Amino acid sequence: MSRNPWPFIGRLYLATTYLFLFLPIVVLILFSVQKNRFPGFPLQGWSLQWYEKLFHEGTLIAALGNSLIVSPTAATVATGIGFLAAYALNRFEFPGKALLSGIIVLPILIPPLILGVGFLGLLARVNLNGSLFSVFLTHVVLLTAPAMAIIQLRLAQMPASIEEAAWDLGATEWQTLRRVVLPFALPGLLGGWLLAFTFSFDEFIIAWFVSGFDQTLPVAIYSVLVAAMDPSLNAIGTIVFVISGLILLAIELVLLPLIFGRDRADA
Amino acid sequence: MSDGTALNGVVEGRARRLRTPNDSPLKWLCLAPVAVWFVLLFGLPLAFLVWIGFWRIEDFQQVPDFSLDNYREIAGNLFVKSRYGLAMLQSFWVAATTALVAVAFAYGIALAIAFAVPAKRQRLALLFAVAPFWSSYVLRLYSWQTILSKNGVVNSVLKAAGIDVVRLDVIYTQIATRIGLVHYLTPILVVILYVTVANIDRTLIEAARELGATRWQAFRRVILPLSKVGLITAGSFAVIIALGDALSGNLLGGGTGRSLIGKYPLFASMLMTDYSSSTNLPRTSALATILILMMILVLVTGAIFAGRAQRRISG
Repeated sequence: MSRNPWPFIGRLYLATTYLFLFLPIVVLILFSVQKNRFPGFPLQGWSLQWYEKLFHEGTLIAALGNSLIVSPTAATVATGIGFLAAYALNRFEFPGKALLSGIIVLPILIPPLILGVGFLGLLARVNLNGSLFSVFLTHVVLLTAPAMAIIQLRLAQMPASIEEAAWDLGATEWQTLRRVVLPFALPGLLGGWLLAFTFSFDEFIIAWFVSGFDQTLPVAIYSVLVAAMDPSLNAIGTIVFVISGLILLAIELVLLPLIFGRDRADA
Repeated sequence: MSDGTALNGVVEGRARRLRTPNDSPLKWLCLAPVAVWFVLLFGLPLAFLVWIGFWRIEDFQQVPDFSLDNYREIAGNLFVKSRYGLAMLQSFWVAATTALVAVAFAYGIALAIAFAVPAKRQRLALLFAVAPFWSSYVLRLYSWQTILSKNGVVNSVLKAAGIDVVRLDVIYTQIATRIGLVHYLTPILVVILYVTVANIDRTLIEAARELGATRWQAFRRVILPLSKVGLITAGSFAVIIALGDALSGNLLGGGTGRSLIGKYPLFASMLMTDYSSSTNLPRTSALATILILMMILVLVTGAIFAGRAQRRISG
């Protein structure tokens, strides 16, 4: 054999895996605009009836509304705490610093299932259980660590001398934070927020335990799912996929280059 | 710090506000929310979870106590009635085999991206592999139901193609559970493994090739050993996530999916059904505590193996 077959085999493998990875999403979109009650081939023509049903019945749309209340607020609070933690780790020395940077990522390692049960017990004790607020609280716990990780990536690129220069030029610490540090960290903040938002938007098990009647979208989808096969799910799935797709595009095109400091060349 | 003779007024002015960059009220302002968040919202619920595991239920009320009744009940029912032990075995079996398949599958993707895709396109290729992670997990599982069910996409395509004898019959078995889990895990594992593979020094591979190693030998003797730590990390991650996941088992495994071990649920699925059917939170908490112990076991085992692999490389 004269030519090296491996690059070809590698690309073939890659193409097959992409097929596997995108199959469910393609099927979801395809059957959201199909007439079939029971999804299968041959196809029976195009129709928007499942979207109409979705908006007509309104339970999933209401749940989407709940999610669109909880996820942005939880993501915002988590990004705020995450920024403070990242900034503290980046700038200050304090006892237990190494320990803090280690344990702060623990909420990522502890499975949501366990956090869900733990929160259920605690929140029921203080009568905070079964509302959107409890979902918000639990999500803040889950989202802070990943948001902080992204912000830290960005802050790690900021030379300490920039802050010191601002102080030397007479800026107070607070002014420096507002006028120098925050603008520099902004791409990281946005990236952390978007990551936190998507995590919260998709989180199921904690919300299942603590949400009560104010279901978030994944929980509502799950309860429809275990009851019956409903093609409206394809429609809501397509809508959710478009939202996530836009976020992913924003992260890739705008934020990744900024977070990883590609802008330093022209700065 | 002890710079008493300030050079000019500006520095002096700054020094009045800020003795050292480290000694600042801002430090406590930054750390306080983190501390409150960690202790109140993370440590407390976990400690509470472990504690509730020792409570009792009396007249449908939770009574704070320090009793081992829940654990005794679970131990007594390991292989009868609720069959907690069989669910544990099922979970370990499914998680281990899933992790094996998922890691091998994702390692192939990572290798293909690193070695068969031109450097300029690698980030795009990686993005494509990660993209499915951004779609809703519950909805992806619903879609897999559509694909794998008895009259679903695969079987209707087979029928339309006239291949009536071949029918895919995996829905509501743990094989379907594994398909859902592998699909969920792949993007995460690809990222871990791509970082591992991309960090391998290419000159080592070239050196091996120049010294007469075949491509296969270069892979076996250079790339594979240098990926070992990454592979073990990815594997432990996969096992942990699979152990903690109830969704795949419930939606694709149908709750009690068939497998080699038998028709038993996964531990996480069983925990969910146990809670929704009994609302016995103390017992659910005890079960969750057991799940934590199972995961610590996996993490420690993974860390030991990773440490051993690391030593072999550097030693």
